[in-house]
Amino acid sequence: MYDQFESPEPDEAVKLALRRIDEATARGEGSDVDGLAFNEVVVNMGPQHPSTHGVLRLVVTLDGELVKDVIPVIGYLHRCKEKLAERRTYFQYIPIVDRTEYVASINCEWAYVMTVEKLAGIQVTRRAEFIRVITGELMRIASHLVAVGTFTADLSPLGTAMVFYMFRDREIILDLMEELTGARMMFNYFRFGGVRYDLPDGWTSKCRDYLQKFPKMIKEYEALVDDNAIFLQRTQGKGVITQQDVIDYGITGPNARASGVELDLRRSRPYSVYPELDFEVRTEQHGDIFDRYRVRMDEMRESVKIIEQCLDMLPKGPVQVGSLRAPYVITPPPGSCYVGQENPRGEFGTYIESDGSRYPYRLKYRDPCFCNLQIFPKLLSGNKIADAVAISGSIDLVLGGIDR
Amino acid sequence: MGLQVGSNPMSMDAIAALLVERFAGELEDVRIQEPDTVVARCAREKLKDVAARLKADADAGYETLNWIAGVDRETGFESVYHVYSWKTNTYLELHVDLPRETPEVDTVTGVWPAADWHERESWDMVGIVYLGHPDPRRILLKDDFVGHPLRKDYVDLAENHPHV
Repeated sequence: MYDQFESPEPDEAVKLALRRIDEATARGEGSDVDGLAFNEVVVNMGPQHPSTHGVLRLVVTLDGELVKDVIPVIGYLHRCKEKLAERRTYFQYIPIVDRTEYVASINCEWAYVMTVEKLAGIQVTRRAEFIRVITGELMRIASHLVAVGTFTADLSPLGTAMVFYMFRDREIILDLMEELTGARMMFNYFRFGGVRYDLPDGWTSKCRDYLQKFPKMIKEYEALVDDNAIFLQRTQGKGVITQQDVIDYGITGPNARASGVELDLRRSRPYSVYPELDFEVRTEQHGDIFDRYRVRMDEMRESVKIIEQCLDMLPKGPVQVGSLRAPYVITPPPGSCYVGQENPRGEFGTYIESDGSRYPYRLKYRDPCFCNLQIFPKLLSGNKIADAVAISGSIDLVLGGIDR
Repeated sequence: MGLQVGSNPMSMDAIAALLVERFAGELEDVRIQEPDTVVARCAREKLKDVAARLKADADAGYETLNWIAGVDRETGFESVYHVYSWKTNTYLELHVDLPRETPEVDTVTGVWPAADWHERESWDMVGIVYLGHPDPRRILLKDDFVGHPLRKDYVDLAENHPHV
């Protein structure tokens, strides 16, 4: 066996990969052909690899071009968020939740704020609920644009055109959000019982303008890749997630819906004003890379529909309960609760235990990417290394959420 | 055809009653947390068996593990399992108490494959040992990290970070 890790000392993940090769060889499953002493190579992919979209490290065992085994190594972006929560008041913690999954940060804020509201029994004003749905769905579109854009960029030069179009359109959403919240990505916008600011003058008409143009842009993206032979060859029938995988590994979000599972927390565990809104849960049947891409494209259309309805139904009234200072100090009664929310990547939730003080006793994240990443070894094994890049792109990982 | 959400809808009271009846003496303190979660307690010796039967239950069928959280209770530890039933579209939150001196519990990776990383995280952060886990490495922290930071008595010392 060829050991390229003689110096420095290999870490636990690499040792595990080497040990597994030895075990496979001992079982007689090694691919020792043509009298070569070795055939399998352990390759370290990441953490600074462009196609991992962050600091994901994969220890890949290769047999020629074939992936035999994958060991994901995470934690390079760990920021002790759960520990930080224990030293901060509920209110002080809101901006930190933003940084958890930074591509759709408003949805993370939403999950955290909903959990605390449930623990403390705070009612949200109706206008604020609609504003929350509008911002949440805008960020869902923005997040899917990043997901699909970077994924196509991994696949082929054609995708590099796509990623520029998509980031161009995402920028308009970020501008809208900046006008509303004062920040492009780290919003710190949700408050217990409402949101921080009301919509500024003229914001709704700008938003409507965008929603009118955006479906045409989706058509443009689809024209670029949907009938492209290279794109189809690289995506159809590859990296299939079966419904059994969805059950076993707790896959959620577009990745589960691409396998024909109608699991959408906006429907199955309704929150906010979603029960009043008319939208479809878009699914596909095959569960391959192409279907995951298709589900995201369809969901963007649904999001546009949802935002338009919210803008039509938007009631008048306050966006915050009581005076603005009221929710700064919150002491929920002792108890625990978990609330999950449909993040663009799946179920994002926080489990909070309160001991009746101003600080959470324990806060735990349920992150969709963390759960979706678990299926990587199963999904990538047996594929070519080039497909591994395509598959990992289609799962849409955000390492900030995984490492926390 | 395939997997459906809520193919066997039941009221929360009915689910709680069903769990009390079928897991008599195993699930304790069964209570309902609105809107859709049953909270229960389980002794650690019975966990593995209870988990397998919860998954195989014909009516409720908690087939998917959502997450596992380790909690430091100062007098002891707690391992919290949050599982999802596709059939009834509800959740079960299972609390398992562990003593302070030996925070050990059987792994449930054999029942719910998703438990693998969640148990590793719980070991990494809180130091709960999952007996029989197939790959008990740290997951978020470095391999050579010392201690378990989410324990309430954890003190952050420079010696805990050999490479920083």
